[in-house]
Amino acid sequence: MYQYEAFDRQFVAERVAQYREQTRRYLDGQLSEDEFLQLRLRNGLYIQRLAPMLRVAVPYGTLSSTQLRTLARIAREYDRGYGHLSTRQNMQFNWPELEAVPDILDALAEVSMHAIQTSGNCIRNVTTDEFAGVAEDEHIDPRPYCELLRQWSTSHPEFDWLPRKFKIAVTGAAQDRAAVAVHDIGLRVYRDEQQEPVFDVLVGGGLGRTPVLGNTLRSALPVADLLTYVEAIMRVYNRYGRRDNKYKARIKILVRALGLDAFRDQVEAQWAKLRGNASTLTAAEVARVEAAFEPPAYEALEDATALLASQRLAETGFERFMRHNVQAHKRPGYAAVTLSTKATGVPPGDVSDRQMEWVADWADAFGFGEIRISHKQNFVLPDVRQDALFELWQRASHAGLGTPNARLLNDMICCPGGDYCSLANAKSIPVAEAIQTRFDDYERQYDLGPLQLNISGCMNACGHHHVGHIGILGVDKKGKEFYQISIGGSSANGASLGKIVGPSIERAEVVGVIETILDTYLATRQDGESFLDCYRRVGIEPFKEPLYADAA
Amino acid sequence: MPMQLDLSAAAARSPAQPAALTVAVDAEPDAIDLDAPSIAIEFSAFNDGRGLSLAVLLREQYGYQGELHATGELIPDMIHYLRRCRFDRVTLPERFTAAEIEAASAPHKAYYQGSASDPEPAFRRTSRSA
Repeated sequence: MYQYEAFDRQFVAERVAQYREQTRRYLDGQLSEDEFLQLRLRNGLYIQRLAPMLRVAVPYGTLSSTQLRTLARIAREYDRGYGHLSTRQNMQFNWPELEAVPDILDALAEVSMHAIQTSGNCIRNVTTDEFAGVAEDEHIDPRPYCELLRQWSTSHPEFDWLPRKFKIAVTGAAQDRAAVAVHDIGLRVYRDEQQEPVFDVLVGGGLGRTPVLGNTLRSALPVADLLTYVEAIMRVYNRYGRRDNKYKARIKILVRALGLDAFRDQVEAQWAKLRGNASTLTAAEVARVEAAFEPPAYEALEDATALLASQRLAETGFERFMRHNVQAHKRPGYAAVTLSTKATGVPPGDVSDRQMEWVADWADAFGFGEIRISHKQNFVLPDVRQDALFELWQRASHAGLGTPNARLLNDMICCPGGDYCSLANAKSIPVAEAIQTRFDDYERQYDLGPLQLNISGCMNACGHHHVGHIGILGVDKKGKEFYQISIGGSSANGASLGKIVGPSIERAEVVGVIETILDTYLATRQDGESFLDCYRRVGIEPFKEPLYADAA
Repeated sequence: MPMQLDLSAAAARSPAQPAALTVAVDAEPDAIDLDAPSIAIEFSAFNDGRGLSLAVLLREQYGYQGELHATGELIPDMIHYLRRCRFDRVTLPERFTAAEIEAASAPHKAYYQGSASDPEPAFRRTSRSA
């Protein structure tokens, strides 16, 4: 992974000093509430329903065991002993004291971490595939480009005060696991006919109140031009994105208002003036950053096929873990492992300080000391020796991180919702728990197949409900919590937005409605087709009918 | 009397000099009289980044060589952005003290990316060390 040099370390140290001073001025009354709000947001600090929330940046979801141990210590010393994995691959702490945040930032800086631009109307943490660098279906490792974008976007002189937040995702694999179609800018990197890496640039995707899938703005952009082209997009957005209404301020609204072609014309006109300038990436710089993501010192191993087969036969639990949580790896003898935070009864994405330390220990013992956070709010160990999978499974099971449900129904995405968030219309964690409890039986989940259920406590859509195969949205109806159910969304290849199945319902009815939808699927599916494929074949009507029949 | 800072001279305070022309952050460069010896870009809120892009456009794409002033509801924490977007002067509300401005005006010795005031990004500098 990328190792900070003196330059990076000094930048972060200066940023902490700056924030410490801003906090002091606020506490001394020199900065108004509104002024400090803008400044603290650029450092990841929200004031939530019950307490401040600090969002720590985990660039493109990659961290070292040392960094994770520091997060565990922060959870213990400054929080209530846990942290929360976010859908932007970051870690959030829900209970820090505002006065203690500069000290937390000092502790983070010691291990090359920070909270820069994890909130506020600026360019946020660039996200990517949690299996970047190890996935079998990968064309090109996207992480060097994520890091180049991170450096370019950090405290940018012109683009730190945008109309609204701005999210960039990069994928380099055949299967898009980074949801690039629902980002302000989505980048697909692949090799062209000359074997040179190039980008397809999508723009104007996003969730929130107005979900939109991104459109291709430019194909086959050379790597050298990455920063100048993004700069051209940002300048058009910064100047013409709406600032009068925060719900209409994302770039997707601007693209829609101008039309894709007119937007492209403006970007191209800007780019014509920028292309080739000093921000053009040099081969030396790309090589320097790529070198940071060289594969670790893999041993020359064979696949442990026979050993794993006998272990799978001997232990049903291990068989299930292998089936769902263990991914094929580029290198023989290795595997990538998803450590699910979705044990029934635990808020999705919540991890304790001890769990963080265990995961760090396993990363050291069974891999190369590296951990990923996935946008689905799980930990991933990217490089586990196959002959160690059984022991890892045993330890993970004891630690509450071995639930064999990756990509199954109970591996749901869920925002913190009304229990924590001051924006939420409704609670989301109790809904997740009710569904997990009802479908706790493994065989039942297995029979339902790959399913992505996403829950958001409000229209801001932090739980990505629009792109869940099943989406649940918390809404406020005359001061009461209601839930709107949609189906058919997906953030993977061929992304789609879910369609609402009917009027919103009370919380007590949610599980029953989900069950009815899934019963319809079981009765309708053909030849082992997945829920999403089935929906795409038959449409929404067959799913609606039994719901209305219930109501009648 | 609002305080005016000369950004070219380490944010030294100077007597306020009104600009020859004042424009809003959403002004189009084509509609601005670029013969004006000084232009003030008026920020209605400090977090309105349009003023930053306008300054960069005037400098880099319209070749404006006169003085650029930033005025309006600004705070000391914006000074480093303004300087890097090649403003020459900034006028701040009176309530900010000299010490506060001094402390907030230059948080970093070096930045990753190039800017209107220093187009070379860190990766093109001979030493990437800060």
